Amino acid sequence: MRTDNLIQAYVNSHPASRKYNADKAVKNFDVNKELMSRTFIKPLPGNGKLVRPSLFDMPSEISKGLKYDWNAFRHALSGKANDHELGKLNDVGMKIGGLAIASYLFTRKGTPMTKWFEFIGLTAFFGAMNIWPKLFLQLPARLVHGFDIRQKYEDNYGRKKMVFSDHQFIPWDLYSDKEINKIGDRLRVPKDIPNRRDYIQEKMRKIALQNNTMWMLTSGFATPLLSALICNRLEGPVAKYLHNRKDKQSEELLTHFNEEISKADFKPRQMALDNIIEDNFGQPLTRDLFNQIVSNITQGQDPAVVKSVTEDLRSVIPVGEHFSISTVTLDNVREAFKNMLKPAGLSEEELAKLLPENSTMLNFLTDKGLVGGEYKEFSSHSLAMQELLTNRITAFVGQKPESVQSRRLSFLLDKMIHQAQKGQDSPLEQAFKTQSSRVLTEDIAKHIRQIGSIFDTLRSKTSVLDKYSHIKVAQDQETILADIWNQTADDFIKALKLTPEEIAKARLDSKVAGDVLRARIENIVADKTACGELVSRMEKLLSVVYSKTAPLEKDNHLYHDLVNSSFKDAAEELRKLGLDRTVDSLLGFGENGATGIKGLYHAFMNERITGVRSSFYRLLQTINTYYKIAHDKGINGVIGDFRPREVKEEMVELVKSILMEGHTADFAVKLYQRRNLTPDLSDIGDIKVVNGKVQYDYYGKTPAHSRVSMPNDSNYFSDAMKLMFGDVHSDIAERIKSSVFFNDFQAYREDAIKKLGGERNFAFPQVLVDGIEHKANSTERFNRLGAATNEFMYKLANNKFNSGKWFSIFGKLGAAVIGVTLVSQFFMGRMKKPEPVKEAA
Amino acid sequence: MISAISKGINGNNRTFQAREKGEGQAPELPYEHDTLLKNNLSTRTRIGMEKFIKAFTVYPANGINGSKNSNFYEFLTMGNFPNVVGSLTLMAIFNSANPFFSHFGCKEASRLGNKMALGVLFYGLFKRFSKTLINYPVKLATGIDTELPYAKVNNRLQEHPNDFDLKSIEYHKVGESVDFTYWDMLYGDPKKGEKRNFRFDKIAKRVGLGKDLNDSDQEVKPIYKEVLVKSKVAKSISTFLWAATGVCLAFQDAWIEYFNCATFKFWKGKDFAHSMKIFGRSFKEASKELWHGKENAVKMVDKHAGKAIIGLAVLSTVAGVLNTIHITKKPSKLKAEEVMDKKKECVVG
Repeated sequence: MRTDNLIQAYVNSHPASRKYNADKAVKNFDVNKELMSRTFIKPLPGNGKLVRPSLFDMPSEISKGLKYDWNAFRHALSGKANDHELGKLNDVGMKIGGLAIASYLFTRKGTPMTKWFEFIGLTAFFGAMNIWPKLFLQLPARLVHGFDIRQKYEDNYGRKKMVFSDHQFIPWDLYSDKEINKIGDRLRVPKDIPNRRDYIQEKMRKIALQNNTMWMLTSGFATPLLSALICNRLEGPVAKYLHNRKDKQSEELLTHFNEEISKADFKPRQMALDNIIEDNFGQPLTRDLFNQIVSNITQGQDPAVVKSVTEDLRSVIPVGEHFSISTVTLDNVREAFKNMLKPAGLSEEELAKLLPENSTMLNFLTDKGLVGGEYKEFSSHSLAMQELLTNRITAFVGQKPESVQSRRLSFLLDKMIHQAQKGQDSPLEQAFKTQSSRVLTEDIAKHIRQIGSIFDTLRSKTSVLDKYSHIKVAQDQETILADIWNQTADDFIKALKLTPEEIAKARLDSKVAGDVLRARIENIVADKTACGELVSRMEKLLSVVYSKTAPLEKDNHLYHDLVNSSFKDAAEELRKLGLDRTVDSLLGFGENGATGIKGLYHAFMNERITGVRSSFYRLLQTINTYYKIAHDKGINGVIGDFRPREVKEEMVELVKSILMEGHTADFAVKLYQRRNLTPDLSDIGDIKVVNGKVQYDYYGKTPAHSRVSMPNDSNYFSDAMKLMFGDVHSDIAERIKSSVFFNDFQAYREDAIKKLGGERNFAFPQVLVDGIEHKANSTERFNRLGAATNEFMYKLANNKFNSGKWFSIFGKLGAAVIGVTLVSQFFMGRMKKPEPVKEAA
Repeated sequence: MISAISKGINGNNRTFQAREKGEGQAPELPYEHDTLLKNNLSTRTRIGMEKFIKAFTVYPANGINGSKNSNFYEFLTMGNFPNVVGSLTLMAIFNSANPFFSHFGCKEASRLGNKMALGVLFYGLFKRFSKTLINYPVKLATGIDTELPYAKVNNRLQEHPNDFDLKSIEYHKVGESVDFTYWDMLYGDPKKGEKRNFRFDKIAKRVGLGKDLNDSDQEVKPIYKEVLVKSKVAKSISTFLWAATGVCLAFQDAWIEYFNCATFKFWKGKDFAHSMKIFGRSFKEASKELWHGKENAVKMVDKHAGKAIIGLAVLSTVAGVLNTIHITKKPSKLKAEEVMDKKKECVVG
């Protein structure tokens, strides 16, 4: 029997199927038999194959992928691309768009960390988009069901596609019977069922479809969450990497100092100076020219240096000392006349008649022998001009010199040569003093160029030093010092073991933060072991702070050597050119040259380090003092046995509060406190401490404590200072005495007593620690005191709470999405087992 | 799984006959067969809404149940789900924890969060509307509507014995596949008095192939395909660059004024109107800021980064359109008598 349908026609006409041509069919060909055995009509032999790449294939896969994308782009531009290629280009477009966003936002961010995170965020987003289905759907599905739901295959054209992307067209023929049966065994499909392969395929299809649907349903939540969590977790490592990179780069600035300074380009300044000199060469040295020159050669210098250079240069470029008479001078004189006579209300024509011509003025001055020389002052010239103008006015108003108009004009003329303001030239004098008799010569030009060159060299050096000090210690985000601060502060809060509730409370307000921290420290110091652990951890933290900042201190580091040599070299050169005042402003004078710019370079670095260290030392000192109050039976030795217990309680409360909340202003007013004017003198016992907290029997118990402070109690402040910054308790000293920072800590305490306690001030001038006065400016006092502990805690608690809250919300949400996705795997692919086909009756 | 035709799922014999109307009858569908639709705002909105709703309801249900009728169209349409949910999640990540922060922290975090939310919104809007920048000029120059929709009537397999709802409607575009473009949709229906090739005639005329061609469809199809491919790649690149421009626009400080008074409570007419007015002003100021850079910008890159991003988006659009309308597959313009070289001998027989 011959078939004559479309399928047959196709089969017959296709070259690949000619072996089935009926004419060449075997004899006794039975189509029914062939159809039953399914050997007659077959699809074209497929060249596709399942793709099972390994990790080692990844580089070549990436390379092939890029090549494919590039070819796809070329094909698309010429209008020859296919659907698969266009689909790939859509992904490429999405990545280009993402890259454009990250690149733009990179330019908007101010710090390396935030800049980096634009690209890290983008990568994390695309990464999350990619790994979510692989990690949370593909992998679990493989583990649970035993096959790859994201299996890829390569078609005849070498295009890679997902086997299960379109469930109406799954290329099952790429799976061998052996593979399908193996998957079936894994899926626990009974072996004795009819059409086992079909059943397994349907089960696989269902599982893949359900997973694909889960992918769509979950990726909306998962991709942003996962990328945010990835970024969150990457912050620490990236910050650490950037810190080390920054540190290395900054050190290289100094180790390659000569290379760095050679990068500076001063050609624009030099060209501008050349233009100024060229335009004015041989011309009179005017004030404007002088200012232009000074402004050019002192570009980027401190105003104090510019002022010194200005003063020094006056001897080199004499401006305002010697003048000559020229046409310009006479024009100015005529202009001065015009301005002077303006109040008279004369018309232009009248003025033209009244005012002498330049030639008239010149002849008049020549007749009096006042032309042709070099003049320092112009009183004779002014009088001559007055005389000339008086004559003209007299002639102008006719024969009535006593007329109102004549008198008015004479009055204005007087004003012109007599300036009311002391020390200031009259307008006429000023008009004469416009044309300098000295001109810009080659010698002056050479001198100026030399000075400019010296400042260029200095500026090239200071700009490198500025860059270095900025990276290291500037009050800015992500400096080395800021990184140290953040890391130490973060570790400190961990060491305190604050509960989330305490953190949530402490972030509300600095006062509340102080209360929380005080309660926590009192709790810790009550337990010697717990306090010992805390101090040990702080010892480690402070050792790191000290070790990292010690090399930057004065006379200890290449930076300070380079500051010295840079300024010294410039100063020597400038001194040779006679710029002594400038040298003074650069090097300074007095102790350590603190008044000069060089001193600022040293001080900036040292003060910033002092400020940061003091803040951390204050924390340790707070713990020390709280510990002393909690445990030291000899507290009476500090504050005196003779004091009534009520006063002791007041002082302990004052000390605890000031260490926690005090600012420099509190020390300036000698620690203002409301006290009882009439304490109970009968009780001179020691204070009582229970669980680290002082039990107040007097303080705060009576309305008397709302009264004022007592300025006559001069020892009160002194003893309070000693209690705050006095000796370290032996238990605490035992744990820190071998630390690298111990000596510095001791110096801090002594310095704090001196600078905060020894300042004579407006509040109670007679109250000083031990009656000794120590001088300290406000910056020194500020740096020695450090940050207020409660404010430090408030900021820390805020950061901790915010990041914790965010992580708590989105961490839970992320965990829920992951949980649901993973658990769903166990509900996928459920099917009824097929019933065996019954034999036809 | 392919079931034996001879037996139904219950073991009953199947009958192939029209069912009577009544209970279990499939609902009436708006289309009986594949139907070309007009590409206008109304149709686009209706299709968009239907696909959007189904992406959140019917298609996920089909997929989760492992329906044998679930297909690639449903999978692709479901892409709306992660797009919308992802956008909302991204907005939430930067905003939802902020109310728990202290006042100052909340304000600082919200400043970034609001920009991020606006950025997500602008990403979607700019991407959506920038397609028009390619589609419209291409249609104007070639007469080819690359986004022409049609309704496909889909015959489904029976999921269970009581499932009589065996037809479904899918909304596709004639040119959504360049390999399998649905040419049939472009032919006219003589029953409706349309010329069979009238759509191809229009395109042929617009692209300069001439009028009254014998088989304009054969002449136009290669051109149609070329335009489809080129416009698709133009959209793939330019729409994402416009979307990026939208995000960059949202990140300008000029929006802070709007964030301070933004409200979506349209029922509070006065506040809403004021909010919209400030939105307009902020949009204008943010555009200026994006173009010129921040006021205190010193570096060249800070001043010109905005210009670069806008320039890239414009350039990709213009280049994409020019490349698309530059058709290379036009037949040669040789006259009939010039087709054969008269000097050469040829044997016909």
